[in-house]
Amino acid sequence: MTGVLERRPDRVGTVTTDVVPRPGSGPEPDDAEVGRRFAAGDEQALAWAYERWAGQVHGMAVRAFGPGPDAEDVTQQTFVSAWAGRESFRPDQGPLPAWLVGVCRHKIADTWVRRDRQRRAAEAVAAEARAAPETRGPQIDAAVADRVLLLGELEQLGQPQRGIIELAFFEDLTHAQIADRTGLPLGTVKSHIRRTLERLRNRLEVDGAALHA
Amino acid sequence: MQHCTPEQLALAALRELLPATDAAHLLACAQCRAEVASLQRSVDLLAVPQLAAPSTPVPPPPRVWDAIAAATGVTAAPRPEAPAAPAPLAAVPPAPVPARPRRSRLLLAAAAALVVGAGIGAGAVALGNRDDDGPAVAAAALAPLGDSGASGEARVVERADGSRVLELDLTAADLEDGYYEVWLLDEAVENLVSLGVVRGGGEVTLALPPGLDLGEYRVVDVSVEPLDGDPSHSGDSVARGVLDS
Repeated sequence: MTGVLERRPDRVGTVTTDVVPRPGSGPEPDDAEVGRRFAAGDEQALAWAYERWAGQVHGMAVRAFGPGPDAEDVTQQTFVSAWAGRESFRPDQGPLPAWLVGVCRHKIADTWVRRDRQRRAAEAVAAEARAAPETRGPQIDAAVADRVLLLGELEQLGQPQRGIIELAFFEDLTHAQIADRTGLPLGTVKSHIRRTLERLRNRLEVDGAALHA
Repeated sequence: MQHCTPEQLALAALRELLPATDAAHLLACAQCRAEVASLQRSVDLLAVPQLAAPSTPVPPPPRVWDAIAAATGVTAAPRPEAPAAPAPLAAVPPAPVPARPRRSRLLLAAAAALVVGAGIGAGAVALGNRDDDGPAVAAAALAPLGDSGASGEARVVERADGSRVLELDLTAADLEDGYYEVWLLDEAVENLVSLGVVRGGGEVTLALPPGLDLGEYRVVDVSVEPLDGDPSHSGDSVARGVLDS
């Protein structure tokens, strides 16, 4: 089973001659080694992770919010909370960059929540200024809140369930393409998709904002 | 009434295309549709472009790292000139073979409905012997799809050495761009085997892969393929028929 959602083949480390190696840092580690050292709390691994994957993370943030302070906050918070939560990163459950992307998704969803709160607060102020009778809706938009909830639920999934549903949700692959990509039988992919969607539905039914608004 | 399986309903919630019989059932069955809708809420919330896998890397300005270093107290620093990671961030290695794009599946599925509606009844043609071949073990009349105007006849012939060939006689307009390609599909239109190329006004004999189960791959399909180097089915089918053995 470990072969299923295995990390991709390790990138061959490139050592550029014009960079003086830091004392004790040795040759460039491959991605898997960066992941292990990151989990172990090696500060150099945070810098390496940033060198290698900050562009991808920031690309996502810019796609969501455009270039500017919100995107920069998302990228910054992604690395800060990844570092603070490094003990929850499990190198055997997937590569570090995929995990960072998952953290980035949380930060994007959190930013939507914050923006939504700000918008509602501004509207409330405007309503008060007009002396309009205030009808208080839910504290924040239900979809915005439920996204945060569901991303948290995804995090609870083990492999290969999590990898499978992420390929379906975030890479728009069909179940046949997921089976090709992972080497898992079609039937296995289908039943994992089914069970995961049920699990997410249950989570929404129990804790979702939309159904409790 | 046979309901869709729970797995098929989950795939429908992901907006995958179902085999024609399931798709038809889903249209008619409020209970199955309600199940899809309830599973689809999480799909609609999460499968949004802003959360999709990373596409274009954008280097963050230096102040972003400064803020990270200040917040974490980490003294190691990334090299400003460090190259961006060239590798994608996917959690799994890329597929060895390019996967068929979803669009083709859509077109295939749309055309599949026509086969179900019209093709099966019209599929049978006389099985006969031709003087220079072995016996025909299966045959199909190919009916036009849409307004293609293409039609034809297909026969599967078993040769003395046990190998099988598909003889196809196609009547179709000459193409200015692209070419006609012959496929065998299963009736769910989920799996397909390419057999080869045929000219619009031509007869062609194509070898079948040894061991191919004609009970499973019963549908003869002719598609128009652009000369784009993409070996997958274009989704543009012009004629189809179901082999009747």
